[in-house]
Amino acid sequence: MSVVSVSSVPFSLGRLGLIAGNTFLEAVRQKLFGFLLFLSVGLVASAQFFREFNFGSSELKFIADFGFGALVFFGSALTIATTAQLFFSEIENRTALTLLAKPIWRAEFIFGKLLGVFAVIGIFCALTVGLLIALLWQRESQLMRFDPEAFAGGRIIQYGDLLIVGTLQWIKFGVLAAIVLLVASFSNTNLFTVVMGFFVLVICHLQYLASDAWRHVDSVIGALAVRLLGVVFPNFQLFNLADSIGQGAGIDGALALRVAAYGFFYIGVIGGLAVYSFRHREI
Amino acid sequence: MKFNVTAFRPARTGLGVLAGLGLAGLASQPLERAAWTEVRASQPALALDSIKDALGQGITVGLLGGFRAIAADFFWLRTNSLWEDTDLPGTQTSIKIVTAIDPRPLTFWLNGSRMIAYDMPHWRIARAGGYDATPTVVQRRFDEEQAQVAIAYLQGAFAFHPDHPLLTLEIGNIYLNRLKDLENAARYYLQATKHPDAPFYAARIYAELLRKMNRPAEAYAFLKELHPKLDPENPFAQAPVVLERIRALEADLQIPPSLHYLPAQAKKATEALTQ
Repeated sequence: MSVVSVSSVPFSLGRLGLIAGNTFLEAVRQKLFGFLLFLSVGLVASAQFFREFNFGSSELKFIADFGFGALVFFGSALTIATTAQLFFSEIENRTALTLLAKPIWRAEFIFGKLLGVFAVIGIFCALTVGLLIALLWQRESQLMRFDPEAFAGGRIIQYGDLLIVGTLQWIKFGVLAAIVLLVASFSNTNLFTVVMGFFVLVICHLQYLASDAWRHVDSVIGALAVRLLGVVFPNFQLFNLADSIGQGAGIDGALALRVAAYGFFYIGVIGGLAVYSFRHREI
Repeated sequence: MKFNVTAFRPARTGLGVLAGLGLAGLASQPLERAAWTEVRASQPALALDSIKDALGQGITVGLLGGFRAIAADFFWLRTNSLWEDTDLPGTQTSIKIVTAIDPRPLTFWLNGSRMIAYDMPHWRIARAGGYDATPTVVQRRFDEEQAQVAIAYLQGAFAFHPDHPLLTLEIGNIYLNRLKDLENAARYYLQATKHPDAPFYAARIYAELLRKMNRPAEAYAFLKELHPKLDPENPFAQAPVVLERIRALEADLQIPPSLHYLPAQAKKATEALTQ
């Protein structure tokens, strides 16, 4: 019987696709996916019942904010929990041992997992944003019939912008999934990975505030540490373009492309680092 | 004792990962900086100064998650509850938190400043023993202190709504109604009139303030310049009212009838008659 080592087979996108497909199927079968999707969709759908609650923003802006709030909140939870769960189920069920005993690159395994999770989150984002668009369209049409003068210039909400923001959030979740995989690649437990995932999420959102706060401090060490924080962690606040929706000026397409490129760059790099770390792990 | 190299493998891998992340951060900086400058410019609420009041209120996740509007609404409800209890420090802090969470709606800034400038002096006077027991000087000091807080608060709003005429008018209103400072009120009303989206009443009140400050000639000149710009079909422009005031000022200034202001239509008719 001949033994085929990994180094003797070329990297295969086909095998990567198989792992991704399997990961996707496993993820959508999970109760957690259905539960978080149900919560998110339910929250977006209930936005119209909070109409009387909008003291400051306009009603449509409020619904848009509410919808994207649900997307970001439940999307982050889903990304972290699903990625960690799917990775550790392979380790705990020993299927990773069987899989990696075959001529499969660890890069195929990691990027297959990442792609599978990315696809699941894509479904989640598409459903949530789709429902949000339908809700906003329906309510805006009602308002247009009720008060045509207020909409003399046409619709206020630019629906293309909703798609752009939804796509950027999806890419951000992709970066988050890559980070969780990186943590999982050296972590021993699912719980540690999930907790670290949430911490990293908060750090990535707030690192710009730390940079602002420490920019003018006298302590060289403090300034250096914060500078390092800004360099090591990606800036998630960059993906937050939802504030511009319903505010008159639309989202700049070139800016959205730059942010998307930034996200994909980080998905590639952090995914690569997860592979590097996973290669040094004993399973 | 044998030196075990493999024991250091996790540390080496960790350092490798950190170095990789650092290099990625440095490599992506040109892309990030350009995009970040643009994102920040369009969202002043992302600045540390504007968000620091809101952090630590248990709503950090809400801010991160995009529940900005709903978190602000909850705090606005709390503000109103504190306002009903005439809790001065609580209300004042809560007002600032609301606009720190969501500085976009103008309603929060305007109504918050009104609570500070108009309601809080009454609360302070009530706490000092009521209007009869509090000397006028002390009452005036309360008015001035609260007005200054409200004006400073409104000045902060310009970072999010640059040159917004309603904010400028609100500062003018505080000078006028709370401090009875006509000079400064007029200054802000005039500033507001220069904005293309300023409400029509700003110009009318400015002229009225000039008249009250015994500067009728200036008021007359201002209204004469204003009237031709007003759309006679627009009920909010109140062109007939402005013309009425011009006539009243002509009477006050004893301007001879031959030099009276003539509206565009009347001027055309007069020219046609003379030809």
